[in-house]
Amino acid sequence: MRIAVRSIIPYLMTVACLAALIWAVSFGTLPPADFTFSNGSEIKTVDPAIVTGQPEGRIVRALFEGLCVWDPQDLAPQPGVAHDWELTADKLTYTFHLREDAAWSDGTPLVAEDFVWSFRRFLHPQTGAEYAYEMWYVVGAKQYTTGEVKAGDPVQIELNRKPQGARPFASGILLRGELMAIEGAEATEGEVDSGKQPGGSDKVYVVKVDGRKRRFQKGGRDPGSEDYRWLLYDFGSVGIQATDRHTLRIRLRHPVPYFPNLMGFYPMFPVNRRCVETYGYPAWTKPENIVTNGPFLLKFRRIRDRIRLVKNPHYWDRDNVRTNVIDALAVESYATNLNLYMTGQVDWISAVPPEVIPDLLARPQGDFRPAPYLSTYYYTCNTERPPLDDVRVRRALAMAIDKREIVERVTRAGQKPTGSLVPPDIGKNLDYKPPQCEPYNVEKARALLAEAGYPGGRGFPRIEILYNTSEAHQAIAELIQSQWKRALGIDVGLRNQEWTAYLISRRTGDYYLARAGWTADYVDPNTFLEMFTTGNPNNHTGWGNPEYDRLVELARNEINAQERMRHFQRAERILMDQLPVIPLYSYVTQDMVRPYVKGFYPNILDTHPLKNVWVDRPEKDRVLKAEGLR
Amino acid sequence: MIGFLLKRLGWMAITLWVVFTVSFFLMREVPGGPFDRERELDPQIKANLEARYHLDEPRWKQYLRELGNTLRLDLGYSFSRPDFRVGEILAQGFPISASLGIVALFFAVSLGLVAGIVSAVRRQTALDFALMTAATVGIALPNFVIAGIMIILFVFLWPLFPAAGWGTLRHLILPGFCLGAPYAAYIARLTRTAMLDVLSQDYIRTAYAKGLPTPTVILRHALKSGLLPVVSFLGPAIAGILTGSLVVEKIFNIPGLGVHFVEAALQRDYTLAMGLVLLYTTLLYTMNLVVDVSYVFLDPRVKLE
Repeated sequence: MRIAVRSIIPYLMTVACLAALIWAVSFGTLPPADFTFSNGSEIKTVDPAIVTGQPEGRIVRALFEGLCVWDPQDLAPQPGVAHDWELTADKLTYTFHLREDAAWSDGTPLVAEDFVWSFRRFLHPQTGAEYAYEMWYVVGAKQYTTGEVKAGDPVQIELNRKPQGARPFASGILLRGELMAIEGAEATEGEVDSGKQPGGSDKVYVVKVDGRKRRFQKGGRDPGSEDYRWLLYDFGSVGIQATDRHTLRIRLRHPVPYFPNLMGFYPMFPVNRRCVETYGYPAWTKPENIVTNGPFLLKFRRIRDRIRLVKNPHYWDRDNVRTNVIDALAVESYATNLNLYMTGQVDWISAVPPEVIPDLLARPQGDFRPAPYLSTYYYTCNTERPPLDDVRVRRALAMAIDKREIVERVTRAGQKPTGSLVPPDIGKNLDYKPPQCEPYNVEKARALLAEAGYPGGRGFPRIEILYNTSEAHQAIAELIQSQWKRALGIDVGLRNQEWTAYLISRRTGDYYLARAGWTADYVDPNTFLEMFTTGNPNNHTGWGNPEYDRLVELARNEINAQERMRHFQRAERILMDQLPVIPLYSYVTQDMVRPYVKGFYPNILDTHPLKNVWVDRPEKDRVLKAEGLR
Repeated sequence: MIGFLLKRLGWMAITLWVVFTVSFFLMREVPGGPFDRERELDPQIKANLEARYHLDEPRWKQYLRELGNTLRLDLGYSFSRPDFRVGEILAQGFPISASLGIVALFFAVSLGLVAGIVSAVRRQTALDFALMTAATVGIALPNFVIAGIMIILFVFLWPLFPAAGWGTLRHLILPGFCLGAPYAAYIARLTRTAMLDVLSQDYIRTAYAKGLPTPTVILRHALKSGLLPVVSFLGPAIAGILTGSLVVEKIFNIPGLGVHFVEAALQRDYTLAMGLVLLYTTLLYTMNLVVDVSYVFLDPRVKLE
C-alpha cells in the first residue's frame, strides 16, 4: 500500500501543478471602456458623507449630484438638482428650488425631503463625517454634530427601540422635547454638556416630551429613567427645512458667499434613504445595492484595480452625458501612470514622475500643460521654540530662501514661487490680491539675524526641518538647508518621518520647521486663512494674534463682498509680517490628457467632472494609429 | 502520520494566537492611529469616529472583542477602505497574488532547475560559468531594476506586453518573470550545489557503470535527492511569493496583497494589517507542513514522528 501511494504522488503533484498553472492564467473577458483614466490611489469609500480626497471626489461626483454642480471651466455654481435658488437680503437664508424631473437610479423621484434626510445623516455624530464642519455654517448644525446640549435646548432622543415595520438600519423611535435639566456628577444646570455619546455617561437628562417630564439615562440604571441611544440637539431646530416637495430652505449663522459652491462640494450630495436604511453602511455602497442620482452608475469595484461606471438612464440631464462606460484605474506609481498613458491604455493621468517633466513639457503633442492650482507648499514654524519665537529670525529665514531656485531646480513643472499663503491665482475668480511677505534679500536677512543676536549665524541654536518621507520634500529641504548655510552661515538639520509619525510631530509641536501643503476646499481665502486663527486645530505653529482673529471673524460676518476681501487682505498682511508660516510656492496641476479627450478644462481646483468629459472616437483612432499604438 | 498532523495543527493554533496577540499590541503601541490626517479632525468628529470603531474602549476590552471576532473568522472592516470587510479585501487580492505567484514559481522552478542541472552536469565549462554569473546577477539585482529593463525592452522597444494592469494572460508574463527571477537564480544555485554533491556519490557511479544513459541517471536517480534542498527552500518561498510583492505589484499595478501589506502598516489600518499577518502566518505554516510531509515521499529515509 505504502509503495502504491508513493508511486502515485509524482503524478498527482504534476497534475496539481498543471491545474494551478491553468487556473492562474485563465481570465474572464472585460469589454473595454469608452474612457479610461488614472484615479491615483484606491478610493476610501463612495459614501458621499464620509469621503475626503481628490480620487474619491471624482467618483462621488460621477455617482451623485448635489443641489449645485461646478462649472467645469470656472467652477462657478451651476444648477444641479436645484434648477434655481435665491438668497434673502440679509444673506442668511437660501431657498433652493429642486427640479421636478430629478430622480434616483431606481426610478423614484428625488425630493426636498431627501436632502433634509441626507444632511441629517451627514451631520449625525454616528456617521463620523470628516467634512461635517463645512455645514456648521447652518443654524444649529454644530450643536447637532457635537452633541452639545444645555438646559432649555430643544432636543431629540433616539430610543433603542425601533418603530413597527422600520427598515433594518433605520433609526430608533425619535422623541422630541425641551431639555429641562441635566443631573449628574459633573454637570450642573445650565452648563454646556459635551459628554461623549453613546459612551457611558452617567448623566440623567430630564426632558419635557409632549408636556410630560421624562428622565433619560444611558442604560437606564437610575430608577425611573429610560435608556436611549442618542440625545442630540433637535434636528427640527437646525436650519434645514423642506417647505414643500420641491423647495428646500437653509438658514445660516452668518453670511457665506460661497455657500452655493459648497452645495456643489461632494460631501453635501444626497443619499437614498430607502437604500441606506435597508442595507446600512457599508453594504449599501455595494454595486448591487447602491442607489444614486448622478450621471453615472456604479457597475463594479475591484480593489486597487478599477472602478467601472456606466451611464445612468434615470439622470435628468442624460442627453448631455456623452460617455457610456468609464474606467477609473487605481494607479499610484507615477512611472506606471506615465507608462500606461504612453502605451495608450489610459486617456488621462493626473500625476507624472518629476524627473521627466522637462521632457514632457517639450512633447510636440502639447498634452502636458500644468495649470495654476489653489494649493500652497509652505513651511510652518513652531513659534513656541526659540529661536523661532523671534519674528526677526523667522523673517531672516524667509528672506534667505531663494524660492526661484526651488521651482527651477527641484519641482520644475512651472510651479510659481509665492510670497503669500493664499495662492495669487485665486484672483482669477475673486477680487483678492494676496499681501506678500518680504522678497528674497540676503543682505537684509543677515542684518536681521545679527539684530536678533546671531551675527554671521554665530551662536544660532541647531534647528531642524521636518518633512514626511518623499524624494521631492527631501530635495527641497536639502536645498533650503544649503541656501541658509550660504546666506546666513547657519546649520540646520533634516528630519524625515513616515506620514503618520510626521503628523503627530506636527500636532504635538515636536518640531522646529515643518513642511506642509494646503489645498483649497472651495474658492475663497477663508479656506487658507481660517487655519491660523488662535486655537484652530490645523494651526500647529503656536502662533496666535487677536487682531488676526478679529479680522477673519469680521470677514466672516461681512455682507459686502469687497469689504470682506479687504478684511481678509488685512488679516493676511499680519500673517505675512509675522511669518508663523513661510510660503514657498504654489502648486500646479499635472494633468496629462490626450487631445481626443473633450470637455476637459484646466481649473484652479483641478476638478474635472466626468459628466462633461467625452472621447472623440475617430480622433482617438487616428492619434493612436499615428503613434503606432493600434 | 495522523497524529503528526494533529500535533502540528495544534501548534499552528498556538502560533496564530501568539502572532495575533503580539501584532495586536505592537500595532497599537506605534504612535498615531487610523484617523490621523493632514487636515486635522475636529476633536468631537474624531471622537465620533473612534467610538464607531470601539477605539475609545480600554485596550484589553478591544483585545477580547477582536479575538472573539477573529475566532468567528470575522476580521471586521478595514479602516482605510471602510467600504470593505477585511475578508473581502483578502478574497479579492489573494487570488490575484496567488495567480501571479504561480506564474512566478513556474518561471522560478523551470528556469532554476534547468540552469542548475545543466551547470552541475557541465561543471567548470563556459556554460556553467555563464549560467552561474547570470544567477548571481539575478540575486543581486533588485526587482525594480529587472522590471525597468523588462519594461523598456518588451513594452516600449518591442511592444509585446502591456505596460501594467491586470485582466489578461499578457498582463501576467512580465510581472511573473520579474517576481520569479530572483527565486530562479536562487534555485539554480541550490540545485547546482546539491546536484554536484549527488553526482559524486557511489550510487551514481554504479548507475553509470551499469551502462545507463546520462539523461536517465540525472533525471531518475540524481535529481530526486538533488531536489531536497530546493523543496525546503520552496516551502517558505511559496508562502512569500503567494502573498504578493510590493515592488512588482506597484510597478505593474497589480491589485494583489503586496501593496496592502505595506499600506496597512503605514496607514495604521489595524484590522487589515491583522488579517494579512494572520493569512501570511497560516500560509507559511501550511507550506512548511507540506514540505515536511513531501519529504516522506521524496526521501524514503525520512519518517514523520
